[in-house]
Amino acid sequence: MASALLSLRHINPPLRVAQTSVRYAAKEINSSDPRIEIIRRVLYPSNLRNRASPTGGWRPDVGRRLQRAIPSVQAHETIERAWLLHQRHIRRSRQSELDKKFQSMRNAMEKLRELDPVLYRAANELEDPRARSEEETELLKTLKGPEKKAMEARIRGLFPRELRVPTETPSRDGWNYNWTPPSRTVQ
Amino acid sequence: MFSRRAVASCHVRRNAQRTRFPCRSLATVTDSSSASTSSAVPPLAPSKPKKESPKYTLNAAVILNRSPIITRTPTAFEKSYHAYQSRIQRALFNPFPNEFYFKPGSLLEGKFAAEEREREKEAFGGPGRSDSSDSDDAAIAASKQVMEVLGEEEAVKPMPRVHESDLKGDVKSLDRKGERNLYLLVRGKNAAGKEIWRFPQGDVQAGELLHDAARRDLHAECGSFMDTWVVSRNPIGVHQPSLSDENYIFFYKAHILAGQARPDGKNVHDFAWLTKEEIRTRVDQSYWVSVEDMLSDF
Repeated sequence: MASALLSLRHINPPLRVAQTSVRYAAKEINSSDPRIEIIRRVLYPSNLRNRASPTGGWRPDVGRRLQRAIPSVQAHETIERAWLLHQRHIRRSRQSELDKKFQSMRNAMEKLRELDPVLYRAANELEDPRARSEEETELLKTLKGPEKKAMEARIRGLFPRELRVPTETPSRDGWNYNWTPPSRTVQ
Repeated sequence: MFSRRAVASCHVRRNAQRTRFPCRSLATVTDSSSASTSSAVPPLAPSKPKKESPKYTLNAAVILNRSPIITRTPTAFEKSYHAYQSRIQRALFNPFPNEFYFKPGSLLEGKFAAEEREREKEAFGGPGRSDSSDSDDAAIAASKQVMEVLGEEEAVKPMPRVHESDLKGDVKSLDRKGERNLYLLVRGKNAAGKEIWRFPQGDVQAGELLHDAARRDLHAECGSFMDTWVVSRNPIGVHQPSLSDENYIFFYKAHILAGQARPDGKNVHDFAWLTKEEIRTRVDQSYWVSVEDMLSDF
């Protein structure tokens, strides 16, 4: 049994793979709509090896094009290593910032535990985003419009809806300085 | 989605937890209040440890953060690496199926071809880079022609990344330094009567939880014309102003989503939205040591 497994090792995998025996040209002169011709040519491109196609079936010019793009193999590898090093620096600094913030938080919780067990216990309670007390449900039924939106946008334990993702350029209106609180929301 | 029964059981459990502790705290409140009235000390926070320990006061402060509005500017290295990678991609990608996307000989095809020539020149630098103005003109002319024929509108120009408050140095503006994290600092009198810059803070009332106290104090000192969100029930840091005095300030992180601070004028006279280094220059050294770990570097 061991010999059978050993003999499997000597089989060389084939060097040419994915080779079709049928080669066909793209052009098919038909009197129908030229758009259909275009679609047929895109879906079934010619696999004659004379021109590079959008499907990338034959690319003999890759070496030449790469020579245009990169200075040399060594230069390319140096650039890659420099980039990975740069990413590692960024990752390290982010991690250390997070660690400092976490230590500060842990310190504060430790102090709170020493001073006041009740407040500590309250601070450690988990917020359940699904739970909503009865008064809030009742209040929500009575509210309308922007007040209702404001209350629905704030779910305990989840980030608010109005938190914006940074964009490439700032918004046309800028910051909203004239915000007024809706009158009847329960925060 | 969880069934209603699961949610109700969660709810019931939390309520049960809540009812357990008020009983315990009520017992300690009566003990401590009888002890404190005899010694003529101001009323304290609800519970007290069993051992005879020095009395303490708790304050809640808020670090109100305006998150970045715009993405960070890439460094020169990052820009050149991105340009290098896009050049490689341009060299290696398969030819674009022009006939599928554009009708041969159409105006749009001409516009696309001109833009492609532009991009190729930008990536590889064509022969005779000096006449780049001509190729620019060709691309612009092609797009203008398309606009006339198809009735497209001019592409709307985006707003600049540098705001005028950056140029003026207006520290009260919330549009300044769009890439950075800004924090609200207020100017008020400390215990000794000196004017100092600090984060908005206030006292914690009896029976009140710390994060609720933080929200209340923020709105009391800086007005309620700000849409804020306190992130969590946990404090992010603690500061003891003087070692002799048992006074602790617990900091809470909050975000501002809209509005502006309007200081009440009683405790707080002035405010500013500052980055981490700017806060360092204005704040006392001992305060800074406690606070610096809570702020974001960028």
